[in-house]
Amino acid sequence: MRDDVNQPDYGTGKKKLSIYVIGFSLCIILTLIAFGSVMENLFSRSQTFIIIYAAACIQFIVQVLCFLRLNTQTEQSKINVMSIIFAGVILIVIIIGSLWIMRNCNYNMM
Amino acid sequence: MHSEQIVGVEHHHDSDSTDVFGFWLYIMSDCILFACLFATYIVLNLPGSPGPDLKNFIDLSDVLIETFFLLFSNFTFGLAMLNVYQHRIRKTQAWLLISFLLGMSFIIYELKEFIHLAGEGFRWDYSAKASSFFTLVGTHGLHVSCGLVWIILMMIQLSLVKDESILKRRMTYLGLFWNFLDIVWIFVFTIVYLMGAL
Repeated sequence: MRDDVNQPDYGTGKKKLSIYVIGFSLCIILTLIAFGSVMENLFSRSQTFIIIYAAACIQFIVQVLCFLRLNTQTEQSKINVMSIIFAGVILIVIIIGSLWIMRNCNYNMM
Repeated sequence: MHSEQIVGVEHHHDSDSTDVFGFWLYIMSDCILFACLFATYIVLNLPGSPGPDLKNFIDLSDVLIETFFLLFSNFTFGLAMLNVYQHRIRKTQAWLLISFLLGMSFIIYELKEFIHLAGEGFRWDYSAKASSFFTLVGTHGLHVSCGLVWIILMMIQLSLVKDESILKRRMTYLGLFWNFLDIVWIFVFTIVYLMGAL
């Protein structure tokens, strides 16, 4: 047995089987919830809309925490978190921004 | 003398982390590429846009199978990662092979779906809707194909390279990439397929 104390993790956290298994099962459940709510038509359109987006966002967080192992333990992982936040801001600007502009275009062209 | 040695070791470790951070930045810029494609797809698929709808052509249960292929592949890659940290190279290669086969099944399913769609008349040159669909899902598929080639190369490297710190670093790159693709797929699955079926 070698010691795991000095293992480099490059800011990706310690590797543990239990965390992978938890993340994996949560992902399966969330995928099935989203898929089931669309296929079974149990809820109204707007409710289904909220359910699938909530499932996607939770699954995103689960994957980032359990598989990418993003954390704020070390200096490097803090920089990683900063860059993912920066990318997130740009991502939101691009998607929300283009939707906003195109909807307004649509409105003004009518 | 002693302090110089420490500085040397720390420098080596630092440059390794800088390399991984650089790869992380590449992943983030890839995120922005996908954000642009998603924005295009959403804008071109706003209600009332011309062209046939995707939902008339697609079988959602096939898409669910694809999703699970990618998710399982991600999990088995995680197991490969655990094994490389426990210095078991053979097992790592075995898990990588399973990840490869699952990823390969994903690509085969996706290609079958594309061929089916094109045959039914949902072609990329038919409407802006179809073009944006094939660009978004196709770009993701291309990334996964590159990842598959990379997994093969990694399996060869695992036999050839003896330095474990190099192997761990390279496995970290591949792990970040492979995981990122699954995260993008969550949103493809939600925005393209589930929203399209609503």
